Amino acid sequence: MNAKLSAIRSAALAPALALVVSLIIGAIIMLISGVNPLTAYESLLRGSFGSASALGKTLSNATPLILTGIAVAFAFRGGLFNIGGDGQFAAGAVTAAWLGVSLNLPGLLGPITVLVAAALAGATVGALAGVLKARFRAHEVVVTIMLNFIVVNIAMWLLMHPLDGFTQVPGSAQIRPENALAPLGFGLPGVHLGLVVAIVAAIAATIFLWRTPNGLELRVTGISVKAAKYSGVNGTVAAMIALGGGGAFAGLAGAGEVLGTYGNMTVPFVTNLGFLGIGVALLGRNHPLGCIVGGIVLGALSAGGQRMQFDLGISAHLAEILVAVVLIFITMETAFTRRRKVRASPSPLNSIEASNDR
Amino acid sequence: MIVDLTELLSSTLRFGTPILFVALAGLLCERVGIVNIGLEGMMLISAFFAVLGSYLSGSAWVGLGLAIVAGILVALLHAVATIRFGANQIISGIAINMLALGATGYLLVQIYGTPGSTPQVTGFSATPIPFLRDIPFIGPALFGQSWFVWVAVLLAIAIWFLLSRTTIGLRIRASGEQPQVLEASGIAVLPVRYITIAVSGVLCGLGGAYLSLSMLNNFSENMTAGRGFIALAAVIFGGWKAPRVLGAALFFGFATAMIIRVPQDVLDPQLLHIVPYVVTIIALVMFGRGSTAPASVGVPYRPGAQHS
Repeated sequence: MNAKLSAIRSAALAPALALVVSLIIGAIIMLISGVNPLTAYESLLRGSFGSASALGKTLSNATPLILTGIAVAFAFRGGLFNIGGDGQFAAGAVTAAWLGVSLNLPGLLGPITVLVAAALAGATVGALAGVLKARFRAHEVVVTIMLNFIVVNIAMWLLMHPLDGFTQVPGSAQIRPENALAPLGFGLPGVHLGLVVAIVAAIAATIFLWRTPNGLELRVTGISVKAAKYSGVNGTVAAMIALGGGGAFAGLAGAGEVLGTYGNMTVPFVTNLGFLGIGVALLGRNHPLGCIVGGIVLGALSAGGQRMQFDLGISAHLAEILVAVVLIFITMETAFTRRRKVRASPSPLNSIEASNDR
Repeated sequence: MIVDLTELLSSTLRFGTPILFVALAGLLCERVGIVNIGLEGMMLISAFFAVLGSYLSGSAWVGLGLAIVAGILVALLHAVATIRFGANQIISGIAINMLALGATGYLLVQIYGTPGSTPQVTGFSATPIPFLRDIPFIGPALFGQSWFVWVAVLLAIAIWFLLSRTTIGLRIRASGEQPQVLEASGIAVLPVRYITIAVSGVLCGLGGAYLSLSMLNNFSENMTAGRGFIALAAVIFGGWKAPRVLGAALFFGFATAMIIRVPQDVLDPQLLHIVPYVVTIIALVMFGRGSTAPASVGVPYRPGAQHS
């Protein structure tokens, strides 16, 4: 157990340092803008954890982030880079908007069916990129970026035509209350069952990756495509599982937002949740359980950023700057450590870079 | 359906130009061996500083200068993070996009006091060429445009010449294909990469400034609206070759021009938006196996290290 704890501690070091660096850079920006950083960070802390409503905001922000984070981390473990989170999220959300309005099933069967369908929609979008990668060597980074735009535009078209709810704001009608993800309670406003879905998903992803043969095959592929090939792993299937599985989690995130947070889906449909998921995955060291922590950190930054804007008039865009700085610093191999030889132990990131011309 | 062909050609060029500038930047990055999906952010930051320069000085030229400086600085951020500090190239690109959204949104409020968009500033007006613009049909479209359009096309030709006909171009290509061979021949790889990426920053500066000082005369939040990603698509659809990248950028400009022209009942404009992305995926699938992508693009290079 002690060994495990110290492993966690050393894994958390780089994300923690990156976070500290970004907060320092944030403080410098505040000083230049004529704001006392201590006052600002106090406001950020109060806005994210300081009260029940602040904590509720943090956790409701974290709910989709945890899932889009797992969408990235899961594919990473298979050696593939899933930046298609936005498109997979949109596929899940529009599926939930469609079924959430039209489906009429007894009891919990309603939301469960919608969630499964949304996960399948996200998985389909992800798996498509997986097939194109394995079969045609089309690079998954480019394909998933292109798919983001394609799926988001198709989703918007669906919302403006077949799914048009003819409401004041263009978009779908309100979902049936039976299909909604109920609020969790505990005096935390905004937090709904989607958070439970996200945590269960993180545990399920962990069990799949480390306790099943398919998960092992996926991780072997992530470490070395050649080794996986020689041990008989089907590359196409592995790529489909990595990106399709990732897509399923992003699809769930989209469904959670529609069924739990908004109750409908509106146009224009802009989210950055897929890209923020990359930050979540990196903060969580590409471990599904780590993504819970990563999601809460980014959720808190965004909730606290809103509060800072309200209290001190600093634009909430500062939170985006902080996340960007975290992203840049967290993958710098040599920023925090002395220059050393390239690590012998494979990491998903290294294999991704090598996978460009596989 | 009657479409004014002169007007269509003219707006194809107008929409294609910012994509072309940024696609040429992406082409240089990829050919030298660095993946850059931060093009969108580089363009957005340049567009912002173009307007800021013009706002502060009253001169569009100062705006252009500031846009180019900003483009170079952001490009060097990507270069230093990935080359010197070993940051993952894709993640650094994503971070630049996020930084661009955050920083421009933040500065917008700090400097102009209002979120959303800046006031109108002095921009570049069209620079029609006398006599030539009076040629029927093609005259107004080809010779009635801003000088940016011509610079973009000339730069495409210049970059084609540079890459395929000069020693410098050979070094750039070698850095992206077989950097160890370049090093073995006595040329340091990293300076080639740094300089090429800085030049790509100049191109993003031009693209951003054209967007905010010529197509429009102000900056609004996220005004690039995916153009940087379309430029990335143009690099791939153009098979990493300058003349074909020029063609791809113009084709995507044409697709954008059609969006506002096709009647709603013929084809929904929403669905036309996806054309550049769909054709790029098709191109990747068709040419993926015999890929013309630079062999070492995305692979970090460490001088003196053994590369298999």
